[in-house]
Amino acid sequence: MNVTLTEEEILKEKTEYTGVHPQKFALWIAMASMSMFFAALTSALLVKKGDYRSWENFKLPGVFFFSTLAVIGVSICIHSALISYRKSKFTQFRWLMFFSFLLGCLFLALQLQGWHVLQQGGMTLTENLSGSFIYLLTSVHGVHIIVGLLVMLVFLINAIRNRKDPIYELRDIINPKRQLNLELLVSYWHYVDAVWVYLYVFFYLNYQ
Amino acid sequence: METATAHATHHEHVHGHEEHHHEETFLTKYIFSQDHKMISKQFLITGIFWGIVGGLLSVLFRLQLGWPNETFPFLESFLGKWAEGGKISQEFYYAMVTMHGTILVFFVLTGGLSGTFANLLIPYQVGARDMASPFINMLSYWFFLAAGVVMFFSFFIQTGPASGGWTAYPPLNGLRDTAVNLGSGLGFDLWILGMSLFIVSALLGGLNYIATVLNMRTKGMNMFRLPLTIWALLFTAVIGVLSFPALLAGCVLLEFDRLLDTSFYLNNIIINGNLLGYKGGSPILFQHLFWFLGHPEVYIIILPAMGLVSEVLSTQSRKPIFGYKAMVFSILAILVLSFIVWAHHMFVTGLNPNLGAVFTLFTLLIAIPSAIKVFNWIGTIWKGKVRLSSPALFAIGFVSMFITGGLTGIILGNSAIDIQLHDTMFVVAHFHIVMGVSAFFGMFAGVYHWFPRLYGKYMNETLGQIHFYITLIGAYAIFFPMHFMTGLPRRYYTYANFETFNNFNFLAEFISIAAIIVFIGQLVFVVNFFYSIFKGRKVVAEKTVDGYDYANPWGTTTMEWSAPIERLHGNWPGDIPAVHRWPYDYSVNGREYIPQTEALKPGEVPHE
Repeated sequence: MNVTLTEEEILKEKTEYTGVHPQKFALWIAMASMSMFFAALTSALLVKKGDYRSWENFKLPGVFFFSTLAVIGVSICIHSALISYRKSKFTQFRWLMFFSFLLGCLFLALQLQGWHVLQQGGMTLTENLSGSFIYLLTSVHGVHIIVGLLVMLVFLINAIRNRKDPIYELRDIINPKRQLNLELLVSYWHYVDAVWVYLYVFFYLNYQ
Repeated sequence: METATAHATHHEHVHGHEEHHHEETFLTKYIFSQDHKMISKQFLITGIFWGIVGGLLSVLFRLQLGWPNETFPFLESFLGKWAEGGKISQEFYYAMVTMHGTILVFFVLTGGLSGTFANLLIPYQVGARDMASPFINMLSYWFFLAAGVVMFFSFFIQTGPASGGWTAYPPLNGLRDTAVNLGSGLGFDLWILGMSLFIVSALLGGLNYIATVLNMRTKGMNMFRLPLTIWALLFTAVIGVLSFPALLAGCVLLEFDRLLDTSFYLNNIIINGNLLGYKGGSPILFQHLFWFLGHPEVYIIILPAMGLVSEVLSTQSRKPIFGYKAMVFSILAILVLSFIVWAHHMFVTGLNPNLGAVFTLFTLLIAIPSAIKVFNWIGTIWKGKVRLSSPALFAIGFVSMFITGGLTGIILGNSAIDIQLHDTMFVVAHFHIVMGVSAFFGMFAGVYHWFPRLYGKYMNETLGQIHFYITLIGAYAIFFPMHFMTGLPRRYYTYANFETFNNFNFLAEFISIAAIIVFIGQLVFVVNFFYSIFKGRKVVAEKTVDGYDYANPWGTTTMEWSAPIERLHGNWPGDIPAVHRWPYDYSVNGREYIPQTEALKPGEVPHE
């Protein structure tokens, strides 16, 4: 006979202190946490690079520049998708989500191509620490991208399923929870994209 | 019928408008619960289970240390091949030491302590209906449980659990070759998996705690009206979300080395005369990543205990906390300092001595906020009407333990002295007293104090007192003599080959006997805990409003008892009460206590 509250009821009127929705705030904290993770790994790289006796330097494959363009593309696309969602332009929203998803997949493909180029050049995973770090950082970052893609896929499928039914689309506009979720997803993507840009610049400066 | 009426009232109060409700089934109420109070119980009971396992392991290896020449045939019957002929094998001894550390540091004193009290107290004391994301909160428990299942499973595999120390240093743990070390096989992979799951749990929990405290406080609850428990739990969560990722990074690199043959930590390893292909790695790198979590971890353990103790001492001595803001800023100072002292665990790794001096300086600086806190606790109970109930006793015991262990911390923090004392029993004595036993005291104080809030019943006071005196005297009996085992290295299976250590045989035996007694003493607590859940003395209602019973068993000012005794999902029927004053109005204006939710009288000046 117990009654539970829905999440919205629990969170009702709870933005008075920071002006931010608590769950968005929680995502920011998660971002701080993920930043510490990448900071730990990149500082490990710096420490090992300082140990020059064993560090074998090489030039960063150029393909990573194009994957950087791809993630920037994802950020632009998915942010425009959010804007068109807010303006209730659902056709535009669907296409932009679709392009973001494609660009995200393209990014992963380009990263794999980067690995391929590295291997062609003889820099395999176990060849030297300098190479190992590239494989390591791209793969842990790739895991973050895959998580983002999976969640994006859920939104995309929902959006495509709704396209024939105006009632469903209307339901989406008036549902603040769905809009919040979309905002969370967009923030997450901006974050993982920024992490890649950071990693790219970091690699670019450390591998010449 | 009565509950039905009660819920009908609840219905009107909480949501007088058309919103649908979810009926709770057994599964959603007890298993996949998203209610912070139920999750708190889940953490606590899982923590108690791990406490028993971790404690039992220490009793087993104390048998070996206390009586290295004896055999204990009963051990063979349940340890099997790990104790052939009743003698604990060397491999299993190291596995037990490793798992004892891992279990107690992470599963009991991090998961069990923070998980329990952050979940219970944050929503209740800040005035929120639940956590910022109840779903993520549930996930946090389930990751914690999964981590535990993986760790527990590793006891039952052929090569046994991880045995390379709870610090998991490579290169010993960097190779999967069981010829090097039995526990470095599958057991260590499971350790890494378990720890990774645990880290995910700690992170999910932590970000929820922070978001809840910063966003979901009730009306009037500004930051300086938060009880010290909440401050402590908030800063603990901040330390957690910023430092656990470093350990995760360290674990990822370690697993790359083990499974994919990279050389992040490995360099020129020779096994049986063969040079392995690893080159260029550095095991010190792991130590940096590990201790970047490992040191803040001790504050993750001790800060919640400090918060609980502050609250319990103030409540039980009927006095405002002494130096509230000094307490808050001390915790903040500890938070900042905790991130810049990690290399004091690494003074003997060949660290640059100048760098060692810097880390010594920061380490010794921690003595200042710690001393401020101790001073304030003593100031709080000074001339108070202290009720010597079991929570108060444990809180006072905490202060005693923290002073004793803190003093040796000042000794160990000096890089020059640490070189002599590193990896000796002196270190074991220091950290067990200052973070192990102290944190346990804080946790017990919390459990005795908030048991009525969790279950609506009291724990048995007599058993609580017995538990306290056994634990206090016993803990000193175990760890105090260790200070005087000069030069005795820790983690040794036997000292029989070192004549110089023969004179410690009596002390070792004494410590082992004390350890066994203390372990049995903890069973008193376990029995008391589970007995009281079902048969404990009920909290008597002091007033009934709208069909809900209210009470305030300890006469506390904080918000948790402004909610009904019954643990409703959503905590308060009707609106959440607003807060008008700071949380420590004890013995003021001629009254014993004034709850935070009580409005200021005309002309009354608030504390702030």
